[in-house]
Amino acid sequence: MSFIKRLLFLSVINFLDQNISNFLSEFFIIIPLTFLSYCFYVYRSDKNISALEAFLLGLFFDLISGTYFGLNTIFFCLVAYYLNSNANSFKLFSYLQVCIFFGLSASAYVGFTQLIVNLYNFSYLTLFLSSIVNIIFCFIIAFIAAYFPKSINMKL
Amino acid sequence: MARTVPTTGQKLNFLLFLVISILILYLDLSSNNFQNIKNGFKSFKISSYFILKEITIEPLKFLQNRYKTKSSLIKENEILREKLKLSDLNNFITSKENIFSKNKEIYEDKYNFFYDVAKLRSINPNMFKCCDKHRMQIEVIAKDKTDNIEKFVFNKIGIIGQIIHQNKYSEVLLLTDTSHSLPIKSESDNFFCNARGSGREGYIICKYNPLVWSEEIIKNQIFYTSGMGGIYPKDIEVGHVTNIEVVNSIEQSLLIKLNASPLDSNIFGVLKN
Repeated sequence: MSFIKRLLFLSVINFLDQNISNFLSEFFIIIPLTFLSYCFYVYRSDKNISALEAFLLGLFFDLISGTYFGLNTIFFCLVAYYLNSNANSFKLFSYLQVCIFFGLSASAYVGFTQLIVNLYNFSYLTLFLSSIVNIIFCFIIAFIAAYFPKSINMKL
Repeated sequence: MARTVPTTGQKLNFLLFLVISILILYLDLSSNNFQNIKNGFKSFKISSYFILKEITIEPLKFLQNRYKTKSSLIKENEILREKLKLSDLNNFITSKENIFSKNKEIYEDKYNFFYDVAKLRSINPNMFKCCDKHRMQIEVIAKDKTDNIEKFVFNKIGIIGQIIHQNKYSEVLLLTDTSHSLPIKSESDNFFCNARGSGREGYIICKYNPLVWSEEIIKNQIFYTSGMGGIYPKDIEVGHVTNIEVVNSIEQSLLIKLNASPLDSNIFGVLKN
């Protein structure tokens, strides 16, 4: 997938993310769809993702999501580095372990972003509920991938 | 196919971009250096949205309406609705029950009370419902281009916030933004306080020392603007107390529910004075 295609794909996910989060915030739940999609993209990619690409994508999402510059960038760079370094190790892990890893990564992302953009109303309830929901969400995606492989088995 | 482990050079690249990202985040948090880029992008987004709507949806709507017998009625209805919103705003200035009625200076001088009409252009409901930063973009419809910075914005129910940036569209700092501070007072004029935005939809928080301000505050007590600070006029009803929390012996906190919400209408007034 070319860089522009990836950018457009992630932008659509980001648009969905912003619309869904408005509804989910009523239930103290945050699912960072953009971040999870980016993790999925890095995880499924055949090649290593460059630091510059992670940085530029992060900056772009900071701009379109209206958050502080650098917020997504830090996480995109960190996750790209970590997944690049451990891409082969991940192949030895079970779906359960991978799902828990991505769910907890999403929770860390939620916690960090809440600390930056919502410090005055930081809520442990939101963090706790989001962690559980994110892990369950990753399980659902893994189940879909296992039972309907064609729907997820896209070439990245 | 197995992926290669990043080389030392690639690792250094990641470290470099990580440090740059942290620096950018620190700069953005501590200064307003990136505000122009953000505002420029917001303006671009809003303009593109309207242009695209004008090019794609509006012609289709026009065609659809053309073949409908009710098309003229729909148009008329839209115009009337727009006029109704404007007349709502005009009426509440001259009505006796408007938010300014307690302020004698404004009320007696009501025919010289000038304001511009503004239309809502963008508000991020995600940020408004969750986060500390509560802003909205409005377009001030005025014949003469005046400086609207620090002018206060209201709707037909009450005060909404103040303009902090002006470009093609004006950025409004809402009362609920955590960086906003609103000087308020009780009806008896014996209690004054600076109420900060809570970061929550519809609430502001006033912290005070009960040893300094002896007046007893009760639930549902109404608060007004004190006029201090020079942005908001005096004696405008802001909201009522919903919760009183005793933090410690020298600090109490009042949670005040605001009367007006920016989501109530698309039309606003911007005080010219």
